[in-house]
Amino acid sequence: MNDFCVKLADILDVAEVKESDLLTGFSTWDSLSVLSIIAMLDSKYGLNVTAADLRNVGTVGDLWNLIQRKQRA
Amino acid sequence: MNANASCTLVTGASSGIGRAVAQRLASSRRLILHGRDIERLEETRSSCAQSETHLLWVQDFRDPATIVPTLEHLIEREHAAVDGFVHCAGIVHVLPARSTELDAVFESLNVNYVVAQQIIATLLKKRVNPGRLRGIVVISSIWSQFGARGHSVYCASKAALDGMVRALALELAPDVRVNSVLPGAVRTPMAQTALADLAISEQLLRTYPLGLGVPSDIAAAVQFLMSEEARWITGQQLVVDGGRTVNMSNK
Repeated sequence: MNDFCVKLADILDVAEVKESDLLTGFSTWDSLSVLSIIAMLDSKYGLNVTAADLRNVGTVGDLWNLIQRKQRA
Repeated sequence: MNANASCTLVTGASSGIGRAVAQRLASSRRLILHGRDIERLEETRSSCAQSETHLLWVQDFRDPATIVPTLEHLIEREHAAVDGFVHCAGIVHVLPARSTELDAVFESLNVNYVVAQQIIATLLKKRVNPGRLRGIVVISSIWSQFGARGHSVYCASKAALDGMVRALALELAPDVRVNSVLPGAVRTPMAQTALADLAISEQLLRTYPLGLGVPSDIAAAVQFLMSEEARWITGQQLVVDGGRTVNMSNK
């Protein structure tokens, strides 16, 4: 999860992200961030996540759980 | 069509613009269809006129070292005379500049530009394809000329393609014409992720006077540039974008 948080922090242009952080709480949360996260999940985790999937996710921890669920599926 | 007829190589033919180009050219040309995915490539071939005459080249372009040997081997094995090349293969990695990693940069540059340069070099060699090449079209992008947030690597790779086209048009004249087609936003699998986002698709519809494109719009432009009707056109960038790039309206 640590590697994921580092990548997410880079995309959102913050020093770090915590599990409890709300994704929409980041000032850099916009369509570019959404596309970049989708691209990162595809290239690093081989997952197909949609913009709609992301907009339904609350916190960083929720996003990590979504990744885990998709990886197990 | 004669099984010994000259061939046109179409890269990225498994889907999207490449598939549409293949379908458009197939009625009048024998094709070498390139793609990564053999099943989708077979689907493209089946959907083309004269399907039994077209050859398949299954190759992943992300490893540049393997491309030239496999292409040379295919040409030799099939005794193919390649007179045309249309480069439709391409990828886009959307990432903020701060997140750009070297492997993403090289992957984009390799698939979008370097491979085209390598293929052209191979098709120009007397030992491989003597004096046969006549026309080249590459699928560039309006983003070779303009910017977009998160697209610095993509924009750079497409700009590289257009630079290559201008230089090659001079170097290879008069025997080979070389041109680019620059599509705007086209409904393809590659664009699917972006187009699925409601905010993005609403913005697109506001800024595209003629709405979004479809792959056959681009295929028509490619067919024209590859034909004798374009005999006096070389080194050019043909923008096919529904009017997007001339839109400076405030609303």
